[in-house]
Amino acid sequence: MSIRLLALVPVAAAVSLALSAVVDAVALPLFLDTTGTILATALAGPAVGIATGIVTSAVNTLRNPTFWPFVVVQIIVALYAWVAARAGLFRSFRTAVPAGLGLGVIASVTSTPISYVVFGCTTTGGIALTTALGKALGLPPLGACFFGSFVSDFGDKAVTFALVTSVLHALPRRAAARFPWALRAIGAA
Amino acid sequence: MTGVRLHPFTLLAIAGALPALAWILPAPAGAAATLAVALVLTLTPGGRPGSAGTRLSPGWRPGLAGLRTAVLTAAPFWLFLLLLHDVPTTLSIGLRITTMVASFVWLVAALEPARLVEAMVAAGWSASIAYLLAATLSAVPVLKARAQRIVEAQRCRGLSSRGGIAARLRALRALALPLVLSALHEVDERALALETRGLVPGIHRTPLAPPPDPVVERAARWVLLLACLFALIRRLM
Repeated sequence: MSIRLLALVPVAAAVSLALSAVVDAVALPLFLDTTGTILATALAGPAVGIATGIVTSAVNTLRNPTFWPFVVVQIIVALYAWVAARAGLFRSFRTAVPAGLGLGVIASVTSTPISYVVFGCTTTGGIALTTALGKALGLPPLGACFFGSFVSDFGDKAVTFALVTSVLHALPRRAAARFPWALRAIGAA
Repeated sequence: MTGVRLHPFTLLAIAGALPALAWILPAPAGAAATLAVALVLTLTPGGRPGSAGTRLSPGWRPGLAGLRTAVLTAAPFWLFLLLLHDVPTTLSIGLRITTMVASFVWLVAALEPARLVEAMVAAGWSASIAYLLAATLSAVPVLKARAQRIVEAQRCRGLSSRGGIAARLRALRALALPLVLSALHEVDERALALETRGLVPGIHRTPLAPPPDPVVERAARWVLLLACLFALIRRLM
């Protein structure tokens, strides 16, 4: 890993964690905690994205230990973002938002067993309440847990993909060209 | 543990072994035992918030601040568990989650990031890995403060974060974009600083003040690891 990519990892991880202040300001039910992972992958490939995801989870764990078991989700997000970047899906909102929705489904499928086995589906208040709603609708325990994860992940990942697309397009071309994958991710190379 | 500073790896081993044992040992007795140990740890001097640089909550006696943080962090999980599960399941999962929370509250209070980095370098870890952890820990508060300044600046310019979802999403973009772009512009500066200091990937540095790692602590870490493995094998058989 080159020095520039090494320097990118903590910056991207810190972006994921600092965006909570922005989310609080607009009062939307979003996490955006994978923004740095997706951005780092779109700029510099899967190794940097996975490293960013692991560092994000490790530092987040020091704030709230319940984040650590979900490190697997960060790795899967990085791999998915790499596939999306290779396919140039960050070229516009029209391609990025559906890709983000797809990631929402995959992230929910991945996080549901962890949430169910380790936390009894109580990872966050929102997930617990939507899981309770799923149970009230007659879903089995695991199905209700998936419903809870899906409701919170689906929109979150679509917004995250849209935000990363905005960043990649707002980045000056000369700056973007310094990262190995940035131009390909937006379909400019 | 008064006056004794455990090696960072020992702190990590204890904080990792307690939740592992809580999940491996049969519930609720096993999890109750690990929780008791974790709660006692939060009462030790090293487990007080503030002892490793974090702020102490006002209005609480220093000895109880760690315990209070652990209890307040774990409380919502108990509430949600009761909402979703029966009492025995709530007890099993709740004790395990509380063990994990209390262990990490103690770890965060007792572990100094700078000592951890020194310990990692002394143990032969790549300086790059130590840098990733230390740089992220120091960058988060800086970017959070910047995010707050951006929020205030955009509000001064008339940005409203109220209204429907579409308006809020537009506000989110107006707030997040400057934050992320300014952070990305720092990457080159950081890379230059790293290069100037000779931190090229793969090199090993000489630690200036490596934390002492007594034989007793190294043995204790192995004992913890073996205890977890033994408990796991016994549980599976």
